[in-house]
Amino acid sequence: MRKSLLGLGVACAMFALSGAAAAETVKVGVIGVFSGGFARWGDQFKQAIEVYQKHNGTEVNGNKIEIIYRDAGGPDPAKARQLAEEMILREKIQFLAGFAFTPNALSVAQLITESKTPTVIFNAATSVITRRSPYFVRVSFTLSQDTAPLAAWAAKNGIKKVVSIVSDYAPGHDGEAVFVKVFKANGGEILDAIRVPLATTDFAPFFERILQQKPDAIFLFGPGGPSSVGMINTWAARLKPAGIQLLTTNETQEIDLPKIGKAAIDAIGSSHYTEVSDSPLNKKLRADLVAMFGPDRVPDTATVSAYDGMHLIYMTVAKLGPRPNADDVMKFWTSGLKWESPRGPVAIDPKERDIIQGVHLRRVKEVNGKLINVDFQIVPDVKDPWKEENK
Amino acid sequence: MGTATVILLDGLAYGMILFIISVGLTVTMGLMRVVNLAHGGFAMAGGYLAAMMIPAGVPFFVATALATIAAGFLGGIAELTVFRPLYRKGELAQVLMTFGLTFVFIAALTWLFGTDVKILPIPDYLKGLVDLGFRPYPTYRLFLIVVGLLLFLLVWFVVDGSLFGARLRAAVDNPRMARAVGIDVNRLFTITFVIGCALAGFGGVIGAEMLQLDPFYALRYLVLFLVVVAVGGLGSFKGSFVAAITIGVVETAGKFLFTDIAAFLLFALVLVLLLWRPNGLLPPKSLA
Repeated sequence: MRKSLLGLGVACAMFALSGAAAAETVKVGVIGVFSGGFARWGDQFKQAIEVYQKHNGTEVNGNKIEIIYRDAGGPDPAKARQLAEEMILREKIQFLAGFAFTPNALSVAQLITESKTPTVIFNAATSVITRRSPYFVRVSFTLSQDTAPLAAWAAKNGIKKVVSIVSDYAPGHDGEAVFVKVFKANGGEILDAIRVPLATTDFAPFFERILQQKPDAIFLFGPGGPSSVGMINTWAARLKPAGIQLLTTNETQEIDLPKIGKAAIDAIGSSHYTEVSDSPLNKKLRADLVAMFGPDRVPDTATVSAYDGMHLIYMTVAKLGPRPNADDVMKFWTSGLKWESPRGPVAIDPKERDIIQGVHLRRVKEVNGKLINVDFQIVPDVKDPWKEENK
Repeated sequence: MGTATVILLDGLAYGMILFIISVGLTVTMGLMRVVNLAHGGFAMAGGYLAAMMIPAGVPFFVATALATIAAGFLGGIAELTVFRPLYRKGELAQVLMTFGLTFVFIAALTWLFGTDVKILPIPDYLKGLVDLGFRPYPTYRLFLIVVGLLLFLLVWFVVDGSLFGARLRAAVDNPRMARAVGIDVNRLFTITFVIGCALAGFGGVIGAEMLQLDPFYALRYLVLFLVVVAVGGLGSFKGSFVAAITIGVVETAGKFLFTDIAAFLLFALVLVLLLWRPNGLLPPKSLA
């Protein structure tokens, strides 16, 4: 009698435990920027996540995916770390995600290693980040990934002499370093490398200097905002009439083109995402963004990265359940994952946990009264060149 | 030779914008002895207003005029509410209050327009390039230089050649004596402040191509305006004209010739000028 009661009790317990497949909430903590000068980076993340959940539901196998947002306010590593700590300890998140800025991402490296929190980077683009913790994966891009194919293409397509002009801060220096290295390696000549102070208001004299040197093209890297707009407008006024081309990476994203205006036409950009690509998934993303957030809503790199980041998390929960072991997650993430993103085919590098993707070379054109980027070449399966160089 | 001319023209255009915006500041700081760190906010407000009106169909010059008047009006309200209580409170209170006002401007514009750059469309006939004979040059910059010169001549005429100007100069040189001879110095303050803010708004509109409009404009370019005023001499519009042109040309030429140290070069020059002439290049009599 007792034995069978015990047996019944054990059976009930086992049944209850196996019912762990019943409704658990998966918490994903997203650190973005929702206020101040960089609010675009948080808003884009949130909107992309909402569109993804509209496409794919808010549950995976009955487990609810709950997103918790926190505002880092800008590049503020101390705050980012504090927010991550709070979410890991108090909210008990299963995944950490977000990070528009490199310093914010780097600040949580030690924390996620100690707490074993799988972390998906939605933007921060400095190459070294994924090496700072074995729990990082990045689904956005790196600066050198977008820059190297541009330099290689330019050198092989009639652009022999280039002047590099970048904003004088760390990402600008990185962009300059990659471009100069790859361009020279492909037989090109760098006439000058100008670094423009971030506080500059009038760019005319720098561009006059470039005009004197008569390059075939300039390579430009700006911090976004008024400086980038000013630089591209000055190129259009002073250098475009002289036939000097503009080579840039993400300065000509569709979301920024209205600010620059027709001056941007014929600027060559190199990016991992071209907003008007006609893959069905991208079309659906664009349509839903407009339907849910207004007719002016244009996707850009932050949008598509957050969308893919959610996809990675959904795949993980689908495969490993709602309470996966962190090391199992990392094994899954380094198992050679590939999938179709709105930007095209992407993969995660099993060794570096960084994204491998196609880089689109495109020109700004005016089509039906709107300024858009039109691809002229796609370089497939580009790994982060910096990591190849710095093993 | 051609390049030197172009650099000179670029520097002049830049200097003109600095002059137009700063002339109001130099008069209020010289006349009213009030430290107004929020001056850039009026320039910004004018710029944003015009940037809203032009896409809505208002012609460029009409929008500019309206924005100028509106900035002056805003200045009048600010004078009555914010600045009157500050006159007797001393410089520290003025610095703190006007600095805070700057942040109010920034927050208000961020709330209304977001943090992105606001584009101010210029009319087609001002766009494009003019052939100077040896090479093409942006039309808009020539327009800026002409407008700046006309404004300078206008201000000169008003200040040196009109009754209002005479009263203004008297009040700047010796406010006590001016009151003693029956000049209503307080009313003069208000009128001048309104005009100064209106001019700032005007500068904000036409200078939008070079000093791009975004909510942090008021803070970002504050140092430039203060430098023009300090180097030129508080209260001296001629001084601020000379200072603005000098700064514009030197900064532009510096960036062309020594791109690495251009920013440093400008402030080294400012340091030297202020050590040589602590009261400014052309200070009014009361300070010299």
